[in-house]
Amino acid sequence: MLIVDHISKNFGALQAVDNVSFAINQGDIVGFLGKNGAGKSTLMRIITSFLAPSTGKIFIDGDDISKQPLTIREKIGYLPETPPLYNNMTVMQYLKFAAEIKGVSVKKQKLQIEKVLEECNLAEAKHKTIATLSKGYKQRVGIAQAIIHEPKLLILDEPTSGLDPIQIQQVLTLIKSQGDQRTVLMSTHSLTEIEKIAQRILLIKSGQLIVDESLDTLLAGNKEASTSEHPLLSLEALFIQYHQAENLKQHRHNSHQSTNEQQLVTHL
Amino acid sequence: MNKVLVLVKKELHSYFSSPVAYIILIATLSLFNILFFMIVDQNREVSLRDVFQVMEFMFIFIIPLLTMKLLSEEKANGTMEFLLTSPLTPTMIVLGKYFGMLILYSLLIALTGTYYFIVEYFGEPDAIQILSGYIGIWLEGAFFIAIGLLTSSWTRNQIIAAMTSYLILFSLYFSVTFTKYFTGFAESFLIQMSTRTHLENFAIGLISPSDISYYLAGILLCLVLTRISINHRLWQ
Repeated sequence: MLIVDHISKNFGALQAVDNVSFAINQGDIVGFLGKNGAGKSTLMRIITSFLAPSTGKIFIDGDDISKQPLTIREKIGYLPETPPLYNNMTVMQYLKFAAEIKGVSVKKQKLQIEKVLEECNLAEAKHKTIATLSKGYKQRVGIAQAIIHEPKLLILDEPTSGLDPIQIQQVLTLIKSQGDQRTVLMSTHSLTEIEKIAQRILLIKSGQLIVDESLDTLLAGNKEASTSEHPLLSLEALFIQYHQAENLKQHRHNSHQSTNEQQLVTHL
Repeated sequence: MNKVLVLVKKELHSYFSSPVAYIILIATLSLFNILFFMIVDQNREVSLRDVFQVMEFMFIFIIPLLTMKLLSEEKANGTMEFLLTSPLTPTMIVLGKYFGMLILYSLLIALTGTYYFIVEYFGEPDAIQILSGYIGIWLEGAFFIAIGLLTSSWTRNQIIAAMTSYLILFSLYFSVTFTKYFTGFAESFLIQMSTRTHLENFAIGLISPSDISYYLAGILLCLVLTRISINHRLWQ
């Protein structure tokens, strides 16, 4: 579905993304992790063709995005970190505009708008002006615009950022339900959220992809490495440790390492 | 083309969904009406030549206020990323923005059409000359909007966009006043660069290919540069 092939991106002297490669299959929900400034948003913007890579290629459904950006964009739904909303429009007006520019046919527009309003639980707010909505509603409107044209690939950049626990739960449920129909790549800082919905983890550090594992493998490896002296680490703790490579190496040196864990440390 | 129309509709909605467009239309028309009355009262002639020249000067101040937010606001709000990751080309975005503002401007010009009927009440105006003047002022506004759109694509700060537009428009308007310091090609260049030179011809009923070319070339250049500016952001 999505192939990221040796992508690098430089902003002058700064190397934001460094030779990243991975592939995602149809229907996967993939969690994209990394500290602020690690290169997550830059890579997502490259996948959406908003930014051009310095080197490397992106393929979606076998098509090179640099050669057919318009065709590719019809297959992508994208929610940037800040939902791209027009505050003077009502939810309905905005979704109609999104449907029109994303090429939803006139016949299907009404149906699609009704569908996403229901999926995103926005029906009661559909005639409200976006400026008057709460952050949680705005985030759901942002997701609604991203799925209105039924994209094959959904890219969500920190979709739960700044939401309260109830709103987070609503947004996660919505994202999980999308996984049945499309491939999802979602970045977040909350590993608890990732554990709830993702099947696979990509961890990026200083622009480099350092972990690419299924969630089950990662957690199983962690369990095997766990001892009474070094109790089971949560994904959150692992994330912090992966960013403190030297500490991790030391820690793993003194414990029973699984094969998977050894591979991860080798990455570091 | 359909998507350009969608963008035009969205632009018009954004102008008329807030009081801003109405205030600008009413304030500008009120100002023009006062100036029209003063000019006609002073000149005592059934011509709009001086009215067009005053309108030209006023548009230097008004149009940057209208155009400053066209692209800079999209950048500041993050909606530019939404447009550029949708199945739209930069050309569609530029044309949608441009034609949206051009329709608003055309409405403003159309509302001053009553001036013809007022002067006709007092005498027999030269209809061709007035029509020529309207074509000239419309083309000039269309050029100013293209300049405003271009400067708006350079920044996310609306004030900077407006100030840059003022700088360019003042340079074009006043370039003819500096001809006394130059001779030969430079003098001729400054004369031809000035918007005043070209509008004067339209205002006296003279429609020449060179004047039309000046405006159309200027519009096209600015739209192409705007497209490049957006594209540069895309493929930086």
